[in-house]
Amino acid sequence: MRFRSLTLGLTVLLAVGLVLAAGEAAAQKRGGTLVMLVQPEPPTLASYISTSGPIGQVSSKVYEGLLEYDFNLKPTPGLAQSWKVSPDGKTITFTLQKGVTFHDGHPFTSADVKFSVLEVLKKAHPRGAATFRELTDIDTPDAQTAVFKLAAPAPYLMMALSGYESPMLPRHLFEGTDIKASKYANAPVGTGPFKFVEWQRGQFMRFDRNPDYWRKGRPYLDRIVARFVADSATRTAAIEKGEAQVGGFAAIPWSDVKTLARLPQIETTTRGYEMSSPIVQLDFNTRKAPFDNLKVRQAVSYAVSRQAVIENVWFGWGKPATGPISSNFAPVGFYTSQVRNYNVPNGVEAANKLLDEAGFKRGAGGIRFEIVHDQTPYGEEWQRYGEYVQQVLAEVGIKATLRYEDVPTWLKRLYTDYDFQLSSNWIQGLADPVIGVHRLYHSRQIRPGTVFVNETGWSSPRTDELMDQATIELDPRKRAALYQEFQKLVVEGAPLVWVHELQFVTVYSKQLKDLIVSPLGLYASFDRAYFDK
Amino acid sequence: MPPSTGRTSTSSYALRRLLQAVPVVFAILVLNFLLLHLAPGDAAQVLAGEAGSATPEYMAQLRQRFGLDRPLALQLVLYLKNMLALDLGFSFRHNLPVLALILGRLGPTLLLMGTTLVVSVVAGVALGLLAAARAGSWRDTLISILALVSYATPLFWVGLMLIVVFSLKLDWLPTSGMETVAAFYEGWPRVVDIARHLVLPALTLSLFYMALYVRLMRAAVLEQAGMDYVTTARAKGLSETRITLSHVLRNAVLPVVTLAGVQVGSLLGGSVVVESVFAWPGLGLLAFQSLFARDFNLLLGIFFLSACLVVVVNLMVDVLYTLLDPRIHA
Repeated sequence: MRFRSLTLGLTVLLAVGLVLAAGEAAAQKRGGTLVMLVQPEPPTLASYISTSGPIGQVSSKVYEGLLEYDFNLKPTPGLAQSWKVSPDGKTITFTLQKGVTFHDGHPFTSADVKFSVLEVLKKAHPRGAATFRELTDIDTPDAQTAVFKLAAPAPYLMMALSGYESPMLPRHLFEGTDIKASKYANAPVGTGPFKFVEWQRGQFMRFDRNPDYWRKGRPYLDRIVARFVADSATRTAAIEKGEAQVGGFAAIPWSDVKTLARLPQIETTTRGYEMSSPIVQLDFNTRKAPFDNLKVRQAVSYAVSRQAVIENVWFGWGKPATGPISSNFAPVGFYTSQVRNYNVPNGVEAANKLLDEAGFKRGAGGIRFEIVHDQTPYGEEWQRYGEYVQQVLAEVGIKATLRYEDVPTWLKRLYTDYDFQLSSNWIQGLADPVIGVHRLYHSRQIRPGTVFVNETGWSSPRTDELMDQATIELDPRKRAALYQEFQKLVVEGAPLVWVHELQFVTVYSKQLKDLIVSPLGLYASFDRAYFDK
Repeated sequence: MPPSTGRTSTSSYALRRLLQAVPVVFAILVLNFLLLHLAPGDAAQVLAGEAGSATPEYMAQLRQRFGLDRPLALQLVLYLKNMLALDLGFSFRHNLPVLALILGRLGPTLLLMGTTLVVSVVAGVALGLLAAARAGSWRDTLISILALVSYATPLFWVGLMLIVVFSLKLDWLPTSGMETVAAFYEGWPRVVDIARHLVLPALTLSLFYMALYVRLMRAAVLEQAGMDYVTTARAKGLSETRITLSHVLRNAVLPVVTLAGVQVGSLLGGSVVVESVFAWPGLGLLAFQSLFARDFNLLLGIFFLSACLVVVVNLMVDVLYTLLDPRIHA
């Protein structure tokens, strides 16, 4: 009896296994054209000199990086099939995949890695100088081996090697030319699953399947077309009608996502943004009164209801933020919620108490003082967010006048002239705090004229020290401890209000499978995506 | 009209007018350049802003490459020097020559605006004439209401409603774009495909302009109908149709031609609203986006071409006047 049931069990297991295997093979159907909405149209496809989101969404189909990442934010093989970090953290040896060629047939070798990183990314990439600061040289003992030599350990470097962040370029096409004026900025040649075919400006870009892709059998799609539609309502209509199958980041406005999600042919997901980790903020200018006063900053931090912003401005998408590091970093231990909690039910009361203590008495009409509130010039949500902030500040006796300017004017006001009091903002935490978070809090990052760095003027020797230590700490546990102390201190000092972790929604056709397969989301190569019709 | 001495020929008149236009265009160039540089922020900041991060070295590199580190006066001199050689310059943002960018958008812009012009003038003149012929009748009232409503409704709303009705509900026409991007048609099917994409944006714009022509035409025809020459023609025993078509129409169409000339002048500018709603790859949207990106070389290039077009079209309208009404001398 026992024996029979065991055989039966085994048979069932075997059968299930066979069915699963067959299902796997049959499921990934070849063919089809994927139309994705990319907003706005990128100016070029030079992802090696700009990290602009729209560029990354398309260039990542053509260029690949040494590494890819899984949802636990752990590196997985990309153009490098394996890697080894020396115990002192100063040598990283990458072994490259065999048989990889660029779209022009030229083989990809370690010389391309050396050229891409040292000559292009370290010199011309917006974040490259920071990412590869400790990198002194790359040895190429053979065509398949690239050895990174570092002056000091740089654990964050391993998080910055995706095809979006650090694309591997063909040395033979770029070497000896002016990198920034290369004609390949508008006609990229990479190793990726899709080849660039044409770009009709104002309309679309076309990428065809690379039949010689090194992952044999992939990609499954015949073609990817990126379409540019300036009007958000039209983008929604194009998805509804099936003229386009994917729209991510804010291509489909949050207000329309709910409507589209009700359609039977549409799927939505908030996954695939774990390496962006954007946080919606209110930035104080801590140099000037009244926000040079800690109690005033903390008061505003208490007054803002995270839930109200998420519910009423972002239509329910978002998660209350607790501090400078996104909860997306919880899997690697960097995130902690054990900090001063400003997200309390009686926030307005707490705020009024602090403002009284700070000596700002209510005057005529209940007003303590007046400020100008600058709004991030990125569209409707930001205007509604500004209106909410205005209302909530009024409740605690701060009269705010709203100001909405265009992007260049706003950037100059915040990051060059420091001519602001309180501005809304959103900053991406990126793949590692060293790359995405330090820039907002380190004293060395107070750099007039450079955008998205420390414009609040926050500066403290202890937090600088913690960040410096975390930059070179190889032991993940010790690094996590440093970041936990950092979060406590910064949250206490409240140089800005961390309102919520912004959740982008990718809207796509249900027929599309394996589209979002890693934290890179739409910045991944789509080599596994297929239509199941 | 400038004062003319006797009977100069049309061609020498045209030549003189063109020469007079040179200093005007030059002044426009200088003015545009200076006005644009009043705007705060620069192209390097926008590019870095879009990138989401930047190092100071990166910003300095960008500014040096774009020539933004030079004094403004020197930038202006260099710009004018290039313009003398008819070199529109380079868009660093797009990493392409300005001329190539503009030429790429010129075709779709002319297609959309040309279609709009023809449809709106023809329909406007016809409806205006029809309304005036039976002034006060239900037909007149209906046409006037149609004209008012299409003039008063915001373009973006008309566009979106047309998409909802004809594209989403009826499924007759595509929502947006200039062609079906997933299909890549060639030859005749491509022409048909583009024509199908053209219907809604052209209709949206035509409705708006048509309303103007209807109102103008109706008023002009009514005004002309009371003139002495109409009474004379009637006394000669001409039929009402003949009077309207060969006498009244010719005189009444003059204001319409003037307005159409103004409209042609703005052709090259395209329509930002309609181009955004229908994702039509026109120059209007390109200019709009260039402004927010502080891509001044590109923007100045578009302005320059628009200025030239306005000069040429004004000239053509003046010549057309002399043909329509021989009493107006060149």
